[in-house]
Parts: sequence; structure tokens; C-alpha cells
Amino acid sequence: MLLLNPEGYMQNTKINTTLILGIGNTLLADEGVGVHVANYLNQKKLPDFVEVVDGGTGSFVLLGIMQNADRVILIDATIDGEKPGTIKRLTPKFSKDYPKTLTAHDIGLKDLLDAFYLLDTVPKVILYAISIAPLAEGLSLELSSEVESAIPEIVDQILKEIE
Amino acid sequence: MATKRIVVDPVTRIEGHLRVEAVVENGIITDAFSSGTMVRGLEIILKGRDPRDAWAFTQRACGVCTTVHALASVRTVEDAVGISVPKNAELIRNIMEAALYVQDHVVHFYHLHALDWVDVVSALSADPKETSRIAQSISHWPKSSVGYFKDVATRLKTFVESGQLGIFANGYWGHKAMKLPPEINLLAVAHYLEALEWQKEIVKIHAIFGGKNPHPNYLVGGVPCSINLNEVNAINSERLNHVSKLITDAMQFVNQVYIPDLMAIAPYYKDWGAIGGGMENFLCYGDFPTHGYNQTDSFKFPRGIILGQNLNEVVEVDARDPQQIKEYIKHSWYKYGAGDEAGLHPWEGETEFNFTGPKPPFDQLDVQNKYSWIKTPRWKDKAMEVGPLSRMLVAYAAGVTEVQDIVNDTLARLNVPVGALFSTLGRTAARGLETKLIVGWLKGFFDDLVTNVKAGDTTTFTKEKWEPSSWPQSCEGVGMTEAPRGALAHFIKINSGKIENYQLVVPTTWNASPRDPSGQKSAYETALIGTPIADKDMPLEILRTIHSFDPCLACSVHLYDPDGKHIHDIKVV
Repeated sequence: MLLLNPEGYMQNTKINTTLILGIGNTLLADEGVGVHVANYLNQKKLPDFVEVVDGGTGSFVLLGIMQNADRVILIDATIDGEKPGTIKRLTPKFSKDYPKTLTAHDIGLKDLLDAFYLLDTVPKVILYAISIAPLAEGLSLELSSEVESAIPEIVDQILKEIE
Repeated sequence: MATKRIVVDPVTRIEGHLRVEAVVENGIITDAFSSGTMVRGLEIILKGRDPRDAWAFTQRACGVCTTVHALASVRTVEDAVGISVPKNAELIRNIMEAALYVQDHVVHFYHLHALDWVDVVSALSADPKETSRIAQSISHWPKSSVGYFKDVATRLKTFVESGQLGIFANGYWGHKAMKLPPEINLLAVAHYLEALEWQKEIVKIHAIFGGKNPHPNYLVGGVPCSINLNEVNAINSERLNHVSKLITDAMQFVNQVYIPDLMAIAPYYKDWGAIGGGMENFLCYGDFPTHGYNQTDSFKFPRGIILGQNLNEVVEVDARDPQQIKEYIKHSWYKYGAGDEAGLHPWEGETEFNFTGPKPPFDQLDVQNKYSWIKTPRWKDKAMEVGPLSRMLVAYAAGVTEVQDIVNDTLARLNVPVGALFSTLGRTAARGLETKLIVGWLKGFFDDLVTNVKAGDTTTFTKEKWEPSSWPQSCEGVGMTEAPRGALAHFIKINSGKIENYQLVVPTTWNASPRDPSGQKSAYETALIGTPIADKDMPLEILRTIHSFDPCLACSVHLYDPDGKHIHDIKVV
């Protein structure tokens, strides 16, 4: 717990840490896949320089921990028309380089990414975008079988990424 | 007669998805319809679960108000089974809620609302020397030199020219309703950047007391953190010192940046003291208890209702009375067993979907029938506005001296009558004024906590009635809070230790809902009527009023926007 440890967290210093940040709303079924992957990774034995955070639907509140990390591996759902469970590894620079339908809270992730430019502290971001089907009416805690079965592969790729 | 229908969809710079359709005749809005994609359904997920776990689900309903949904949830369970939390737990909950308010209101002002009033492109032509002079004349905030503003202007130029940043690319720059001189525009843009940096500090209070952020931990019966001044993993002296510093910095930011900026911008928009009002009734559940959740007279924000804009009387509200609060679905995509005209108290609430709307893309909602996912709550069949303005009005009418003083002083400084409170300007000013009060209360809660701990009281949790076996066979509760956006209540029915029914009536439900069965409009639809629209292709005025409510539709919203559009999709039909 380097980034969230209250003492380290207070100092606002850049820490040689890889932040794995799962984003999404677990009440909206597949939309929460990023958080599910983060929870999964949290149960694995990971190197000391890696920290996994359930980012939920938090936007601006994530600014501090993302700024302090050396590198951010972001996991989020995208509705891009691809087969559900498709994994894309992207290294976007500006918010406009991100998939159009990535957790599109209007004041959300993209505005947060713009904010890094405004503050001149742009972290290195690697994005794992997981394709999901358009959301059904209502809420659900369950992932679809297509997205659920993609999780071991996502986890595998991320573990290779941090090796 | 030139009748146009303006559609703003999505209304951006907010969470979730809100669509507004406004009918404009000869440059004035004559009718308006608000539609939200806030689908209810958490109720269905919670049914049959352990009531003590509900907070963890409910706080996922919203990305910005996470802590208040958790607070409302633990309160509703405590209310149902009869738990009073220890003093330290009350103080820590207040500290976390107050910290949320201060962060949320500052972010609203600078990052969601300011660009409706501040012209970023105009700031490029500002004289940094004059901006520096203005800044130093209104505040002691140290970052106010000519060099500082020169540097901000240079950075701003790079952002605007790059065209890469959505935040600055999509505004209605050059709109003739933008009235600030370039120098004040530059001041506001500089503080937009400062507020971004600052806001990430204050939320650390949530990580310290709640173990993590976002989505900090809550607990039925208290708070899930132990206090031990000398223990590494507890709330110790060092962590309390951190919190103390964060509070001091927050007070400085609010008093030296937010409030002076608000008071520097407001005089240019005094005409908005007569636009965006129209609501007659205002509801506040009250919050920040200082002697227990059941001692409402100990609340910092008093509970009550203002009827007919009458500030001489505060009417009592009882959320447990089945005749007072009811939700209607005549114009919402749900069905009730008792039919479309019925109103149900949330304890008897039903959540059955009944989507009858058009398939996107479409030009216009069918407003004669159902047109929103938001239900329509009413108090004794009256429409209520909720939010900062309601809190300030109820406290003002209830005779809270510090509220009366700050409101009267602000009215005098702006030289506007009391009636100007019932407006878009009044709503935005009320949010600032309450932030100034709350940051002071935050310091008070913290000082009380330290005093209590130093006197030897480190209790943060009561395990009395933790076990469901100690609860009544069946019981019901209401967890009332004032979220930054307004009155928020969770309603629970418990049977044999499990959730039988759970309903959330959130602030944006009160404000953004469609018409009720008798045709009465809710706050957004009411507030837009009479608003002048200078340019139908750039309906900035609609955004000013809607944003003044701080809409938050993320409470169970579909989070995607099929076209990924981050621009106002303006259609004149």
C-alpha cells in the first residue's frame, strides 16, 4: 500500500510504483469488469512495486493516486461493437485517443485525463479496454459469460506487463 | 409567432445522461421537459440481502456522492433497528460528509459550472497586471503576482491552440451572454487549475477515516476505524495532524479563493437574480447532527419545508408518514400494481420497468405520455426543490443566526433584494455560502473529536444490536441526509433480518423529475420557464440554470453515450 498509505499519500511525491486501476460500476453488470479484474489481481501475489486499486466510478478523486504513480495500467469497459470479451491494449496520449464509449461519465475519466495535461503531470497510461455489449435495462451484479471468461486472459496479459 | 423547440442532449459536464427539451417563443422559454436515464433497480439487487451490507452496494450508485449513499444506508438500518452511534462515530461521519461537501462544491463551481459564466477564450486577451491587481484587491491568497497570471495565460494559450482538451474545446465562447471582463476570466481560469490541484488533497480525509477512496468504508453502528493515538495502524496522532492540515488548507481555499471569486463574478450577472426561479416550495431533511440522529434540533442544517416562498414559517416534514412523501410514475417508464395515477410511499415502493419511449435516434420525446426514467416524488402532492438553496432558505427561516448573517451580508454586498434568492444566481450563491459555513463546521467537528479522544473516549462503534437476532421480527427505517445536491433518503423494510424492500429517493429525483399526474412540473422544468435565449444554436442560458442545480444522474444510470458525443447535440425542431 504505497500510494494509499496515508503517510506516503500525504507527501505527494512520485513513487516508483505501477498502479493497476480498475474502473467501472459493478452494479451495471459488464460495465464493472475493470473492478472485477482489479479484485481478482488483488488476490494474487504481486511484486512490491505494484498497487491495485478499485477505482469504482470515481473520477477526480483518482487524480492524486494516478499522479503519484510511475505508470498506470487502466482497465475499463468499452462499448465499441467488438465481440464482448475482446481485449485491446492501447497507449493513448490525449483523451481523444481513448475509445469513444469508454465509461462515458461526462465528468469522468476523459476529463480526468485532460486534467493531467492542465497540471503538467501526465502519467504513463496503458489501457486495457474490454469490449462489452450495450447494457441491458436495469441493474445486475453478474458479468456475462463472454466477459467473465475473458478475465483469466486479461489477468495473464497484465501479469506479463508488470513482469 | 416563432416557436422553436431546443433539445439539449446530453447536457454535458454532469454525471450520467440528462436530456432537456425547451419550447422557445420569441426568444423566451415557454415550456420545458426534463428526461433522465437514471434507471432505478438497486432495490431489486438489495432484496433478501443482509441490511448491514446495503451501504456497500448503494454507494456504488453514484460516482461523486459515494459517501452520502453509504451514510444514508447505515442511517436507515440504524433507524429501523434502533441503534444510536457513539459520539466519535457521529463526529467522524460529519467530518467525512463535510469534506465531501467542500470538495464537491468547489469542483462544481470551477469545473462544472464556471465555464457557463467564464469565457476561456476571452481570458487570452487579459492584461495579467490588471488581473493581479484585482486578485490582490479581493483576497489575501498568495498566488496573485503578475508573473503568476502571465504564466497561466501562456499555459492557457497552449491548451486552447492545441485543441486537444475537451474541457476547453466545447464551450460557448464569445456568446453575448458572457459578461465578464477578460481579466476576471483569467482569474477564474487560474483558479480552475488551482482547484484541480487542491481538490485531490481534501479527499484524503476519506482515505484516512474510511480506509480507502473512492468508496470509503462505512459500518452500521459506528465507523470502521479504531482510534489509538500511539498505534501505527489506527487513527493516531500523526494521521490526526494530517487531517488538521487538510482542514486548514480547505478553509484557506474556500475563504481566499472560492468565495472571493464568487463575489467577483456575481455582480456581472445580477440579471440572473431574476431568472431560473419559479419554484414555490423547498425541502430540506436537515443534517450534521451534533447530539444524535433523532435530535433534529441539534442539526447544523435544520429540517423543514418552505411553502410558497414564505420565509416566515418552516413547516415540519415527516418522511415516515405514508401520507407525506409519495412517488408517481404517470410520466416515468415504470408500472405500479395500482395503476399510473397512484402515488406510493417509498416503503411501499415498486420498481417494475415499463419502457414505452422511442428508440434512439429520435427528434422529440412523447411528453404527453411517459418520457423519463426518473420517478416523480411529491410532498403532500406538492413539488419541492432540494439542494443548497433549500438548505439556506430553511435555515434562514428557522432563525439560524450564522445563516441569516451570511445571507443578509451577501444580499447587501450585491445590492439585491431577498427575492433574488429564488433564482439561478441565488442557487449558485447559496452553494458557495454554505461551503463557507461547512468548512468552519468541519474544523469544529475535528476539534471536538480531538478533545473527546484526548479525554480518553476512543469508542467508534457500538455492537449492541449488531446481531440480527436482537432486532424486531419486522421493522422499517428512513435514513435521511442532505447530500451536496439536496435531500437524500433511503427507505428500508426489514423482515427476519433480511431486506424486504429498499428504495432510494435521491436529490436529482426531486429536481429533474417529469410532471406528476396533475400536470405539476418539478424544479428543472419550472426553473427554465421565462428564461431568455439569445442564440438558439448556443443555448447557454439553459445550461446555466440546469447546472445551477448540480445535476447528478449517475444514481443507477446507464453510463454510456451511444455516439460518444461530448458536445451539446443541439437540434432545433
